[in-house]
Amino acid sequence: MREHLDGFSSRIARSDEALHVLLEGDANMSAVEDVGRTLDEVHETALRENVSVVVIDVRNLEFMNSSCFKKFVSWLGHLQELPKETQYMIRFLSDPKMHWQRRSLHVLQCFAPDVVTVET
Amino acid sequence: MPQLYADERVYFELVFRPSVVLTTTVRRFVSDFYERVLDDEDSTSRLAMATQELLENAVKYGSHGETVLRIEVLRSEGIVRIHTSNRSDALNIAILERRISEMRSAPDPVGFYQRLLRATVNEPDGSGLGLARIRCEGEMEVDLTVEGDRVAINAIARTHSGAPS
Repeated sequence: MREHLDGFSSRIARSDEALHVLLEGDANMSAVEDVGRTLDEVHETALRENVSVVVIDVRNLEFMNSSCFKKFVSWLGHLQELPKETQYMIRFLSDPKMHWQRRSLHVLQCFAPDVVTVET
Repeated sequence: MPQLYADERVYFELVFRPSVVLTTTVRRFVSDFYERVLDDEDSTSRLAMATQELLENAVKYGSHGETVLRIEVLRSEGIVRIHTSNRSDALNIAILERRISEMRSAPDPVGFYQRLLRATVNEPDGSGLGLARIRCEGEMEVDLTVEGDRVAINAIARTHSGAPS
């Protein structure tokens, strides 16, 4: 049985070419604002620092509700509205044992196939 | 664990006042239930997601009082039914009726979900994504009944293995 992480947490780190975002815990109703703030910060940083790839690690994210999921949709939608030369790629790192991730990340990939890839 | 028979109907009902904390607690509890009864990790995951989305809807749009959650597994038919029932106000009931009507009139769950995602990029929260997610990612049928100020939502899934072992 998987150990449950109470609450939601996020961390952002920079490497040479990429911005790394670690999301952990439970993205439920109480995490909606946090998720939105994190993605806003990621977007602003990626554009300001001319980052080519953002890596989102959700392997320890137990669950994401539709309100948090919508924050990702808005982020991707706004990214797609930018000129191609300023867009960055988004790589999701997922855990195949977390079945919701396969379904939800596939939806995001279909929504924004030009910028999203999903790795397991 | 006690032996379950293939034709057994398994169900439980919770009556509670939903809160943010409780929705997660209940999701974990029902995940354990689905896991034991269905023995199918993918079905467990999509049913747990649907349960959480329905309970969060009850938190967001319910007006007062208790919410009833009933989960029923018809093992011989490979069907799981998630039922929530709560009171709500006229405005929220009308919004819910419109959303479910629009969703049910769209024959393709995937196409409807993707169109809804695109339409809500610039919208605030409360766009009906949860119900569309249940239908598409959860592979469930969703319907609604209203009696006075009481709203009942049924989400019905077929488990992948047909009759669960």
